[in-house]
Order: sequence, then structure tokens, then C-alpha cells
Amino acid sequence: MNYKLTLGWLYPDLMSTYGDRGNIIILQKRCEWRGIKAEIDPITVGANDQQLKNVDFILMGGAEDRQQEIVGKDLETGKDKILHELIEKGIPGLYICGAYQFLGKYYKEADGTIINGLGIFDVYTENPGPNHPRLIGNMVVDSSVIVSEAEQSIPQETASSSIVKVRTLRNDEILLGFENHGGRTYLGKEVKPFAKVIKGFGNNGQDGTEGAIYKNSIGTYLHGPILAKNPGLADYLIQTAINIKYNKYINLDPLDDSLEEEARNVIASRLKLQL
Amino acid sequence: MKLLSIWLGKSISLISRVLNLGNGSTWPGHLALKINKHFISSLLKNSKTQIILIAGTNGKTTTSLLIKTILEHNKKSTIHNSSGANLLNGIASSLVLQSSLKGKLKADYAIFEVDENAFSKVLLEMDPQYIVLLNLFRDQLDRYGEVANVAKKWATALQEEPTINLILNADDPQIAYIGQQLFNHKKTEYFGLQQKGLDQPEHAADSTYCPRCGTKLSYKNVYYSHLGNWECSHCGLKQPQTAIERFTYMPLEGLYNTYNTLAAVLLCKSLGLSEKQIEEGLQAFKPAFGRQEKLNYLGKQLEFFLVKNPTGFNQTIQTIKHLKARTILLALNDRYADGTDVSWIWDVDFEKLADFADNIIITGDRAYDMGIRLKYSQKEFKIKNLKFKIELDLNSAVQTALELTSPTETLYILPTYTAMLDIRKIVSGKKIL
Repeated sequence: MNYKLTLGWLYPDLMSTYGDRGNIIILQKRCEWRGIKAEIDPITVGANDQQLKNVDFILMGGAEDRQQEIVGKDLETGKDKILHELIEKGIPGLYICGAYQFLGKYYKEADGTIINGLGIFDVYTENPGPNHPRLIGNMVVDSSVIVSEAEQSIPQETASSSIVKVRTLRNDEILLGFENHGGRTYLGKEVKPFAKVIKGFGNNGQDGTEGAIYKNSIGTYLHGPILAKNPGLADYLIQTAINIKYNKYINLDPLDDSLEEEARNVIASRLKLQL
Repeated sequence: MKLLSIWLGKSISLISRVLNLGNGSTWPGHLALKINKHFISSLLKNSKTQIILIAGTNGKTTTSLLIKTILEHNKKSTIHNSSGANLLNGIASSLVLQSSLKGKLKADYAIFEVDENAFSKVLLEMDPQYIVLLNLFRDQLDRYGEVANVAKKWATALQEEPTINLILNADDPQIAYIGQQLFNHKKTEYFGLQQKGLDQPEHAADSTYCPRCGTKLSYKNVYYSHLGNWECSHCGLKQPQTAIERFTYMPLEGLYNTYNTLAAVLLCKSLGLSEKQIEEGLQAFKPAFGRQEKLNYLGKQLEFFLVKNPTGFNQTIQTIKHLKARTILLALNDRYADGTDVSWIWDVDFEKLADFADNIIITGDRAYDMGIRLKYSQKEFKIKNLKFKIELDLNSAVQTALELTSPTETLYILPTYTAMLDIRKIVSGKKIL
């Protein structure tokens, strides 16, 4: 079967700090190298609703405050509702840093001003002010929680078939990346944390959680970009996108990820961890 | 107090140079400011030296050096803060080292490059006659914050100083808008390009939305990133009239250096130099270390292009493509001066580099991260047949790259800051401060 995915990239000219576009490049190549067609669809201010409705995956990156304001206005025209529907439908997505905060209920600035979010994730973020340092540095988290999410989302009738296998995240359950955020995010009851912090700060530097996962949508502070050193997560997202679109779990041909292994080991050994 | 600062500072500098402790360039200033918080203003207050400040994300060092070269060629004496020591302590250091033991400054001009965040503080300590603002690109957000905020702080600081002559980049909407908000400034002049460019901004572009009303800008020409002939169709804000668009002689390759040169030329014209004097000065120009600096090593020609951020890196790729580069050494470090976050390499268009480079050697503390970026820049994936090679050890990386460079071609070295210092040490046998 010829699979084809449309990778929706929300606001590439406004919400893309810290090499977030790397995630979309990585997904496209990892599809193409296995014969899966993957088209990148940049969706920005003024794009029509149908364009957004067609996507099989969503990436939304971080932004500066001013850019986020412009995005907020554009979403209000109706795209916010479509995005919400896609997320409820299980369309997988990566929402990094600013986008993650934006999908939450609100962001409270240091001076107390409240900026409303889209309210799709049951999380809220507060900036404790200039006397509290930004949370910056290399970061290692354990995301084994998302493996169980994957198991839950397998359609019953195919789960028993012999060709279907849940892909585990190998050692990529341990994810590596870089974080840099001033806001502290706190989770409500409706979402699960995306991962557990091993090194670094995560959501708020206190409760040991990192990011949030709701259906197949992942909000996270990990950039680097996140998929660069975590090819297992990239493949997991590809499989999930195909599963949602074609209602079928497929095994992906393995790729040589030895460079990723080396890059992961460099950071792990600096942080005195063994992967 | 002022004299004590100078004497102690000069001694510290001497000791650190004799003992080869390195980084001698900011310690004297650090100490001088410890002794007298207002050391800079008290020293400058009584001098006749005219002050020129240069700020912007990319091109500060090159532009300062262009101005210095032109002025010195025309028999003017100058001082400047070298080696990118562009915070208050670096500026104080250059004053310590270049003033007399009696605390007098003899130079006609002081040229200071200023860090984005130090700009407002520096303005409080001195009254510059001229300020050049080059550009604002997204750099290291952890250190500099958001582009729009930096522009806002600069505009606020300049509001209080209506007598300063401003030389601004008309093609950068954020920079131009600073000038357009300062109604009280008597003398504001703009430099910019008028030539054929791209139709659309590239991906790494930062400020393609109107700085006044937030609408997407329309461009007649884009030169690189968000620089170009822009206007806002909504609120009518548009690129200001330029005083200079071209010059008879360009000492350096690359569009980004065209901007640096135009800024330097416009400034020197404001200082009263003739086009002929300026051109002769430019012909005497030698690049700053690591910025298109050419060296010979083991009978081979090397050229350094310091890379710091996506916009600069993309410009470098364009430039070396134009120079017909075949063999390239990439060196990625993540120490403090490089920026500890290497994710910015994903905003660089390595797909374009893969198109023309035959041999790519990768080294540095984060060589594997660069390797991953290049892996995904290839159309076909064949791990056995990668067009690049990773050598963690700097020495062997330089050796391997040299072996692949034929005697008639140049090895292009594209390092981040600390990697540049280390490689330069290997090929020149010297340490720079």
C-alpha cells in the first residue's frame, strides 16, 4: 500500500524558534526514506480552513510574545475550533514550548496580566518574574508513559493480528533535548505528563514532570529540535499518523541511527548518565 | 580614583599577558569599574575624542574595523574595543589600555562595538556623536531575549539623546522603525540596497511582520533574511529614503558585507571624508580574525568564516558557493561564547551546502549533532555513502580536511566562536586574546 501523509506546519514564519522546523524535516525524510509520501504544508496567517482540516500531523513551534499575539488573532477566525477537533480526533501533533503554553488554559505574565490560551490542554503557565531564572539547559526525560498510550489506541480488531505489533520506543523512551523557558507550567487532571524528568527542569522545576500528552498530541519544552536526537519518537509519530489515517498499524523499516546514538551518548556522558 | 583604575588596569593587563593567562582584554576594565563605577564617563568627559558606537546582531566587528581602517588611513588616530569585548568592561578595558598614565585620551575617534543588551547601559556612560545600527536577527534568545524587545529598548534609550547622528539600516524593518519613531533626532541617515533580490523572505527570516501594526510586510526585493525593500500595505509604514545604496569598492565578499561597508562609508562621509579618501582607506582593509580571514598552513590556503547564527551561516553558504568552495570544515562547539543551545543549526539551509560541497569534515564538541543535521539535508539516505566525515579531534579534523584540499584550492573553515579560536591556534601556532 502506498501511504501518504500531509505534515501540517502551523505558522512557520511566526512560531519557529530554536530550529523547530528540524522536526518537520526529520519526519518528512524518515517517511520518504521508507517510501511513504510526505508533503509539508505550511499553514500561516490567512490560510483557509480546508488546508488545516487536511493535515495528518501538526507541528507548532515556539514564538516570541509579539508573534504569538498575531497567531492568536488568526486562530480566532475559526482555526482554533478546527485545531481542537483535529486534536480530539487523535491527529498526532508536537507543540513545542510557546505552542505548548498556548494550547493550555492561560499564561500569566510576571506582572499578573493573563493571556488566555486555547484551553485544549488542561494546563496553565505562570511566569514568576525576573527574580526567578529562566530554565535553561540540556535535558533528559523518561517518556515510557507514551508507550502505554500507544497500546490503548490500537484498534481492537487489528490488535490480535500477528502482523501488528506495538512499537516500543527502544532506549528512545529516554528522550534528550534542550529547554529554555521562563514560564512554569502546571498540569490539571485532564492531561497526563508527557515524561518524567531525569535531568533538567521540565514543566516547572518542582514536580518532576515534563510536558503533557492528550490523545496523540504532545506538548513539551524539549527542543533541540526534539526529534533530532530522538528518532524513536519521530517513528512513533509517523506510525500514529498512519494508524489514524488508514486505521492500520505498520512496522517501519529500520534506519541507521548511529549518529543519533553517538550524539545522545555525548550529552548523556556529560550529564553522567548511562543510556 | 580614575588614575588608580588606569594604573592597576594596565598592570593587570601586563601581568596577564606575560603569564599568558588569556582573556587579558576584559580584566583591566572589570577592575577599573570595580574601583570607580563611572570610570568610563569620567575619563571620556574631559577628552575631545569623538565617540562612534556600532550595534547590531551581525557585522559589528567587521564594520568597526572598516571604519577604523578608513580613518587611520586618513591620518586620524583611533581607539576601539578589540576581540569582541563589547560589554561595559570590554569598553573600559580599551580605555585603560589606550589612555596615557595621566588618564588622557589622545585619539581623534573612539569606535566601540556594543553588545545588544549593553547598549542602554553604555549610553548612560557616554555621549557618542555617532551611532550605527546594523541589523537585528534572532540570535541566542537565552542571552538576548526577543528581537522586538531589543529594538524597543534601543528606541527608548535613543529617545533621550536627540543630538546623536544616527546611521541606520533602512532594509531592516526593526532598525528603520527605530529611526522613524525618533521625531526629535535632527540627523538620521539610512543605508540600504537597491538591486534585484528574492521575491520572498527565506525561512530564517525573523521580522517579516510590520513593527508598527503587526501585518505581514510586502517586499519588492528581499536580500536576505528579513532585509529588503519592504512596506506595510495596512498601515503604510515603509522603508525610509536611503542616503547610500552602492559604493565603488567592496573589500569583502557577501551581501552582508555590502551592508557593513555601506554603513562604514556613510558614517565616514558624515565625518567629512571624501569618496576618494574612503575608497583608498577601504583598499587598505584587512579582515578581523575569523571573518573571511585568509591564512596559509602547510602550503595550503585556508579561509575562516566565523558562524554564529542561522542568518550569518546562510549568508556564508551563499558566499562560499560563489567562491567555488569544494572542501569545507565545519566546527560546532556549545560553550558559553558559542551559545550552549545548538538547535539553531536546524534553521540553516544545509541542503544548499550539500548541493555543491564535495568534501565536508565535521568537528567540535557537538560534531554528531551537526552530522545529524547534514544526514537530513541529503536527498537520498545512504549511511555508508555519506558526503561528510566526522572527526572529533580538532587536530585530525584539520589534517584530514587539508589532505582533501588540492594545492590550487582553498579550505573553507566554518567554526563557531570557541572552535575558531582553537583551530586558529592550531594553524597559526599562536593564541589570540
